[in-house]
Amino acid sequence: MSKANHTKHFTKHRCSRIYFTGKSRFILYSIVLMILLLVLFILIPRHNILHTDFDMRMQGASLSHIFGTDHLGRDLYSLMLAGGGRTLLVVGLSTAISFTLGSLLGTLGGYFGRWLENLVSILADFFLVLPTFILAMVLSSIFGFSPFMAGILFGIGNMGDYINQSLNLTKNLKHQEFIDAERVIGLSHFKLIALHIFPNICGQLIVFMGNQASSVVVQYSGLAFIGLGTDITIPDWGSLLYQYRSFLISHPHLVLIPAGAIFCLSLFFHLVFDRKLNRR
Amino acid sequence: MSKIKNSLIFTLKYILVFLIISMIIFAVVRLLPTPPTDQWLSAYNLPRTDENIKWVTEKMGLNKPIAEQYINWIRNFFVGDWGKSLISNAEIFPIFLSKMPISLSIGFIGTLLAGILGFLLGYGSAYSKYSWCDKLSSALVVLTQSLPSFIVAIIIIHFLSIKLKLFYFFSGSIIAPLIISILLTCLYTAGGLARIVKLAYQEEMKKSYVRMLVTLGFSRSEIMRRHILRPILIKLLAAILSRFAWVFGGSTVLEFAFAMPGISYFLVDSMQKSDYNVLQTYVLVVILWMFFIHILLSILIKSLDIRRLSNEQS
Repeated sequence: MSKANHTKHFTKHRCSRIYFTGKSRFILYSIVLMILLLVLFILIPRHNILHTDFDMRMQGASLSHIFGTDHLGRDLYSLMLAGGGRTLLVVGLSTAISFTLGSLLGTLGGYFGRWLENLVSILADFFLVLPTFILAMVLSSIFGFSPFMAGILFGIGNMGDYINQSLNLTKNLKHQEFIDAERVIGLSHFKLIALHIFPNICGQLIVFMGNQASSVVVQYSGLAFIGLGTDITIPDWGSLLYQYRSFLISHPHLVLIPAGAIFCLSLFFHLVFDRKLNRR
Repeated sequence: MSKIKNSLIFTLKYILVFLIISMIIFAVVRLLPTPPTDQWLSAYNLPRTDENIKWVTEKMGLNKPIAEQYINWIRNFFVGDWGKSLISNAEIFPIFLSKMPISLSIGFIGTLLAGILGFLLGYGSAYSKYSWCDKLSSALVVLTQSLPSFIVAIIIIHFLSIKLKLFYFFSGSIIAPLIISILLTCLYTAGGLARIVKLAYQEEMKKSYVRMLVTLGFSRSEIMRRHILRPILIKLLAAILSRFAWVFGGSTVLEFAFAMPGISYFLVDSMQKSDYNVLQTYVLVVILWMFFIHILLSILIKSLDIRRLSNEQS
C-alpha cells in the first residue's frame, strides 16, 4: 500500500499538494456547496421578483441589487435565481425520467435478447422520432407553460437515445467471459444485471447524461424564449432574454447575464460529467 | 427476406407513431377546458347561446361519435383537406404551402452548407490531430451546445442593423434575415457534422486496405481524398439527412427571433391565438415529413452502400 503511494508520488509533480481522496473529498465538496449556498441565498440581498419599482429602473450593479434592475425595476438577481430554480427542476425531472427508464429498458432488452430486444429497439426508435420540441411547444400552448410538463416531455423525448446506448453497451458486455462465469456459478439474472452489468455501463451513460442535461438547458431556454410571451412575470431565463432583447446595446448587462447563465450552466453539466476531464 | 421484414417493421413503426401522436393531439384538443366550439364563437364574437352552440357543433361535425370524427379527420388529411383555421377561416393547406419554402430553405441550405463546412473541418481534424481544425471544431461543438442560437441571433440583429445600420431586419424584405438564419443554422450544425466526419475517417483509417495503400506508397492526403472518400461521404450524407428531419423544429427559434413568415412562426402565431386546427395539422405534417426523410435516408444508404451490403451478405 505504501509502495503504491510512493510510486504515485514520483510520477506526479513533486510539489506539495494536499490530496483529498474518498470520504474527505466528499466532505470538501459539501462544505464548498454549503458556502456557495450561504453566499447565494443569504448574504446577497434578494427581493420579491414581482415587485416593480419605477424609480429604480435600469440600474447597474449596486449593493442592494447585485445584478442591477431591469426595465420595470425588478431585481435581476432574484429573477435569475428563480429562473435558475425552474431550469434545474426541468433538467432534474427530464434527466431522472430519461435516465432511469431509458437505461432500465435498454439494459433489460440487451440482456435478455431476442424478442425483448426487438421490442425495446422499436420503442427506442419511436421515442427518437417524436418531435420533442414541437410537442413541447404545442402542449404548453394548450395546457399552459409549466416546468413540470416541459421536464416530463423532455424526459420522454430523450429516452430513445438512452435506450439505444444502454442496449448497445449491454450487448457488448454480455459477450465477455465473466458474465458466463457468473451464470455458471448460479447468479440469478437480476443480481447479475444489478451488480455486474449496470455498474460497468454506468460510466458511459453518465457522460451521455451530462450531454443530454446540457442540451435540455438550452432547449428549455429556447422554449421559454418562444414561450407564447403572454406572462412576463415568469422568471425563466429564456423569457427574460425575450423581454430584454431590445436593450442589448443600451443596457447590455440585461442580456449578457441571462445568456451567460445559460452558457455557464450548460457548460457545467457538460464538463462535470465528462470522464476524460475528470480522470487524473 | 430480411429486407422485406425490415422495411415492413420500418413502415409499421412510423404508422404507429403517426396514429399514436394523432390520437394524442385529437384527444387533447377535445379534453380542453374551453372546447373548440367556444373558441370559435369567441373568435367571431358570437354569444354562447344554446342555439349557437348547437349550430357550431354541427358545423364542426363534433356531434358525431368520436371514432367517426377521428377517421374523418385522418381521411381528410390524406386527401388534402386540412381544414380551416379557426381564427381566419382560411384553408390551411394553401397557407402551409406558401410558408413552407422559407422554413425548408433555411433547413436545407443551412444543413447543406454545414455539411460542406463540417466536411472540411472534419478532414482537417482527421489529417492532423490537435491542428487548428481540430480545435476549431471542438470549440464550435462546445459553443453551439451551450449557447442557444437565439442569443446569437439577437446580438447579430443589434449589431448589424442598429449599430452598423447595414441591413434592416424587420422591414418586410426577408433576404437579410434569411441569409443570416441560413448562416446560423450552418454554424450550429457544422460542429456535430465535423465530429462525425473526423470519427468516420479515424475508423476507416484503421482498416487493412488503408494500410495496404500506405505500403503501396500513396500519401496520406491522397488516400483521404481519393480512396476512402466514398464511405465517409455516405456517413456524412446519412448524418445530413437525419438532420433534415429536424428542419421544422430547428428553424422555429430562428424564425421567431427574426419574425420571418415561415411555417414555424405561423405555428407560434396560431398557438398564441389558440388555433387548434392549425396545431393538429402541424403535428401531423411534421410526422409525415420525418417519415419521408427517413425513407429517403434508408433508400439512399441501401443503394449507395454496396460494399457494406456485400459484407453483410457474405
